[in-house]
Amino acid sequence: MSDTTTTAVTGRINGREQTLQIDNADLLLDVLRDLGLRGAKPSCEMEVCGACTVQLDGLPVSACTTLAAEIDGRDVETIEHLDADGTLHPVQEAFLRHSALQCGFCTPGMVMTAKALLEQDPDPSREDVVHWLEGSICRCTGYATIIDAVLDAAEVMRRAR
Amino acid sequence: MLILSDFRLHRPASLADALLLRAELGDEGAVYAGGTELLLALKMGVLEYEHLIDIKRCPELRGVQQVDGTVRIGAATTHRDLETSPLLARLLPALAELERHVANIRVRAAGTIGGNLAFAEPHADPPAMLTALDARVELAGPAGVRELPVEDFVLGAYETALGDDELVTAVVVPVPPAGVRATYRKLATLERPTVGVAVMGEVAGDTFATAPAVVVGAVDERPLRVDATPLAGASVRDRDALEAVVEAARDLVDPVDDLSGSADYKRHLTGVVTRRALEHIVDPGSPS
Amino acid sequence: MPDELKVVGHSVPRVDGPAKVTGRAPYALDLTVPGMVHGIAVRSERAHARIVSIDVEAAEAAPEVLAVVTAASVAPLDVRFGHVARDHPALACDRVMYHGEPVALVVARTPRAAARAARLVRVHYDELDAVIDAETALQDDAPLLHPDRVAPLGDAGLDAGAADLTGNLCAESTVGWGDVDTAMAAADLVVEGEYRYPMLYGYAMEPYNAIASFEEGTLVVHSTAQHPYMVREDLARMFGLPLARVRVVVPYVGGGYGTKSYTKVEPLAALGAWVTGHPVRVALSVEEAMLTTRSDGAHIRARSGFAADGTLLAREFDVVMDSGAYTDNSPVVCAKLANRCFGPYRVPAVRVRVRSVFTNTVPASSLRGFGAPQGALAGELQMDEAAQRLSIDPVDLRLRNVVAPGEEILPRKRGIDADLAEDLRMLTGSLGWGGPSAPGTGIGFGLTASDAGAHPTSVAMVRLHADGSASAAVGATELGQGSRTVLSQIVAECLGLPFDRVAILAADTGATPYERTTGASRTTTLVGRSLQAACADVRRRVREVAAEVAGVDASAVVDLPAGVSVGGERWDYAEVLSRWFGAGGELVGVGEVRRAGEFQAMPPFWEVGASGVVVDVDAETGVVSVLQLTTVGDVGIAINPVLVHGQDLGAATMGLGAALSEALVYDGEALANPNVVDYRVPRSSDVPDRLELLLVERRDGIGPFGAKGSGEGALNPIGSAVAAAVGRAIGVFPHELPLTPERVWRLAQERVGDVRT
Repeated sequence: MSDTTTTAVTGRINGREQTLQIDNADLLLDVLRDLGLRGAKPSCEMEVCGACTVQLDGLPVSACTTLAAEIDGRDVETIEHLDADGTLHPVQEAFLRHSALQCGFCTPGMVMTAKALLEQDPDPSREDVVHWLEGSICRCTGYATIIDAVLDAAEVMRRAR
Repeated sequence: MLILSDFRLHRPASLADALLLRAELGDEGAVYAGGTELLLALKMGVLEYEHLIDIKRCPELRGVQQVDGTVRIGAATTHRDLETSPLLARLLPALAELERHVANIRVRAAGTIGGNLAFAEPHADPPAMLTALDARVELAGPAGVRELPVEDFVLGAYETALGDDELVTAVVVPVPPAGVRATYRKLATLERPTVGVAVMGEVAGDTFATAPAVVVGAVDERPLRVDATPLAGASVRDRDALEAVVEAARDLVDPVDDLSGSADYKRHLTGVVTRRALEHIVDPGSPS
Repeated sequence: MPDELKVVGHSVPRVDGPAKVTGRAPYALDLTVPGMVHGIAVRSERAHARIVSIDVEAAEAAPEVLAVVTAASVAPLDVRFGHVARDHPALACDRVMYHGEPVALVVARTPRAAARAARLVRVHYDELDAVIDAETALQDDAPLLHPDRVAPLGDAGLDAGAADLTGNLCAESTVGWGDVDTAMAAADLVVEGEYRYPMLYGYAMEPYNAIASFEEGTLVVHSTAQHPYMVREDLARMFGLPLARVRVVVPYVGGGYGTKSYTKVEPLAALGAWVTGHPVRVALSVEEAMLTTRSDGAHIRARSGFAADGTLLAREFDVVMDSGAYTDNSPVVCAKLANRCFGPYRVPAVRVRVRSVFTNTVPASSLRGFGAPQGALAGELQMDEAAQRLSIDPVDLRLRNVVAPGEEILPRKRGIDADLAEDLRMLTGSLGWGGPSAPGTGIGFGLTASDAGAHPTSVAMVRLHADGSASAAVGATELGQGSRTVLSQIVAECLGLPFDRVAILAADTGATPYERTTGASRTTTLVGRSLQAACADVRRRVREVAAEVAGVDASAVVDLPAGVSVGGERWDYAEVLSRWFGAGGELVGVGEVRRAGEFQAMPPFWEVGASGVVVDVDAETGVVSVLQLTTVGDVGIAINPVLVHGQDLGAATMGLGAALSEALVYDGEALANPNVVDYRVPRSSDVPDRLELLLVERRDGIGPFGAKGSGEGALNPIGSAVAAAVGRAIGVFPHELPLTPERVWRLAQERVGDVRT
């Protein structure tokens, strides 16, 4: 195995199994964006800003610092999958209700981070939300509306359960 | 733009295969687990390797188990696994709490405890705590398995006792006996901890039964043990004893000026955080 | 809210919300153009050096490389740009002027191939003495950075200060009246001090990027530009093209805050396209963006003279701005700092000199606040220091001196269109000023009024379609501030249409009419007014054609919501268009704002800042926690209150970053922290638990329905407010930002029992 600098991988991207020949040096973010999934954004490139956040097996990761080959046998979910059935995810709805965005460049990463949190912990405290979002930078909003939106989404999702 | 150079990616399915690759590739191959440190260094061109050995598929390297009075943490266990491990929360709550505050959620989801130790970035949280807890690093190589105390494993900045043909397989943490508590306090002026202090000690009321283990992390190139003898049998409210240990911590460190603060300031902070960690272990409600 | 307004004044949902929460909103970085290739800059590793030679052969021979572009390789094109003075080369010509300056552009089929080849370019330098610090650059024996000065372009809309500049002066602005020396001599108290405001990186999360191509003789650029029309002028000059043959298109922009004002990477992409014949993308990393533009750091020497009763007698400011390697927008920042530093007070004698100085550092340009935060740090802190020393309440001290509504702050400028005294009372009331405060905590607040840098040139077009819906073409860019939403609300209100029957086109110099810039809060105010005029114009056309169709006099046709009454009969827009055109068609209205009539007096409006904080200081570690933030949004009218809240909190949070953690640091000749790991911006945990975002709506602005600016004001006083709050908590007023834990700890150490002066 591995005589070359590429690797054949089979993973699920947004629910659909795909087999790709991956250049080992490819980062997950570049491959996703080349596939047309451009919701995840490059920004800091150093795992601190969160703009490139996608879920890998349910947990948020920095796609800018994850090898694309990591999708082998795993499940990647990007922002594009959230309304694949035509309806927005409750986190997205809450972001709209709270006007929790301005330029929108951090928004897909924020939404994916928040969604992952609510999957792990359906009833987070405000402090829990702040703690999870600590690694996601927004330069426009001052965060308060984002935190409110996540707490609101949590409540909506709990009620729907 | 940060880019990676080309490399070959090896993904062994067992520890035995991983060790064969280590023996074969030597220093041309890097062990790759979470990649949270390694990929950054590769992207910035600080490091370059022809081979990466991805050890995440080795089942021997994952999981948290209770083994004979110890907690055995597989090297490829992520910070997030540790943060959420019920076993860790029960047996080593201070380590679990520390893990909850490592970097950010994405780094915790990918980064591993073994990688953290093996990369030996000085501004990391776990090494000081693991040192205070008398944890040992389990290493496997062609000659078999050996164990080293964490403080003998981490030799300096980005420098460890790991051989080119070895792998970190586990971190083994003794479960402290009843009555022994641990805590970790840190202060970060930038992204990584500026000062982190871990304390483990047997506390009755407000008194330390014996000298607690006090370890300062993130200031020097490796965690440093502070002589806390003055607190043996002393109350934390014994200001002389407490300040003697705080003074010892300040004297022990050899900080450098950098973006996170001047040497003077970091020396001062070392004292403050040491005092607060010692007070916190006695009174968890004290300010941090 | 006055109830005659149907859409304006209501927090309608953002029009860009659904696209943004689903990740489908296109940014320049998300676009691709067929045949597109990629350019990566090779950057200088010297702060100041003559370029001896550039060895490009290895890079050109690398796989997938199309070209290595240098200033020499594109001769005789003049690669310099700049809207004040054309002195900034897109690629260094014979000299590099700062560490990180682009020297060559490697164009290749993939970004990775370009980046790998860029490492193969060898630049041979002959090193020159560099000067990193502005004070040093002012000395007689300092190396001269621009020996061959470029004459300014003389744009009448830019307040760029004096023209006869020598040495390393990039610009100089003075403001003054009265006899300062006599007044100071007669003062009961003179507060004197030096203050330092850091150089900042705005960190808009989408780094600068552009795609350029030449199509049928037209240069087409998609970019992150805040001011596409200004970029168009730079590109037209560089390539010798008429304005009509340069098209700059700006989709959604991932943050601006002034950092994307004026030309950045567009020339690089265009040069790459000019050389290779391919569309070329240049997309910077954050590190490269930090090497592209920063804000002007400032060293401020200030004196304020007071009578014993707190009356301001005189103020004097001598400011040195570190403006970096090229002119860019620093002269305008310089002029604004001079206008803004002494505050919205009645001061009988003023003497201000601001010098903008070239250094061998990253060129400085615009950033939110634009001189106001720098000036307020000194100006407002001296109000607090004076209050302390005169034993007068700092609120009373300000109230004694603050200008009344309509009063002039600057001679011959528009009087203040706000009630600052009332704003200050609201602010300090919210902060609990005067009440008990816990040990280790402090309250700080500040008041600013900025002469908006908004030259009133704006053209808008409204198209009324055959179904009665309307779209508006404006050149304003959507940076996140919500301009498309607010402008849609204005159109809907003026035409009597439901909000969802209105659309706003993205800025495109080839399709949307001229808009001077997007900044200084001009979009809601000035674009809003040109758009109102365009709506009135299209309504006039509706009446005109309706009258012609009906065969009546135009005076018999009266406007109704979404239609007209023709002799008592209601025709909605669709009916008018259908009767006029028979099939299809549209009516077009055009509106203009220019510097005439009510827009003659400058500034068109004042941007008011009234913000404050309650902080807790851990004196032992120096860590400052913000417990409460209050902003007073004195905006005339909030066309969309939720968006105004968003602007105020966002601006204030950016101010907290500069106050507490952000600063670009030079280590020798290179930036020590060109990344967001070491350059720390506010995080979610830095937002205070108690937020009071107050709105004041007195309809006293020149904008539509009485609107004024929003989005800078809340930031401007934050630095001084945090410094004052920390000062009250530890007993020493800090004079330098950011208040990092170490700086606060050191100040707390040096306290000798009383407040430093």
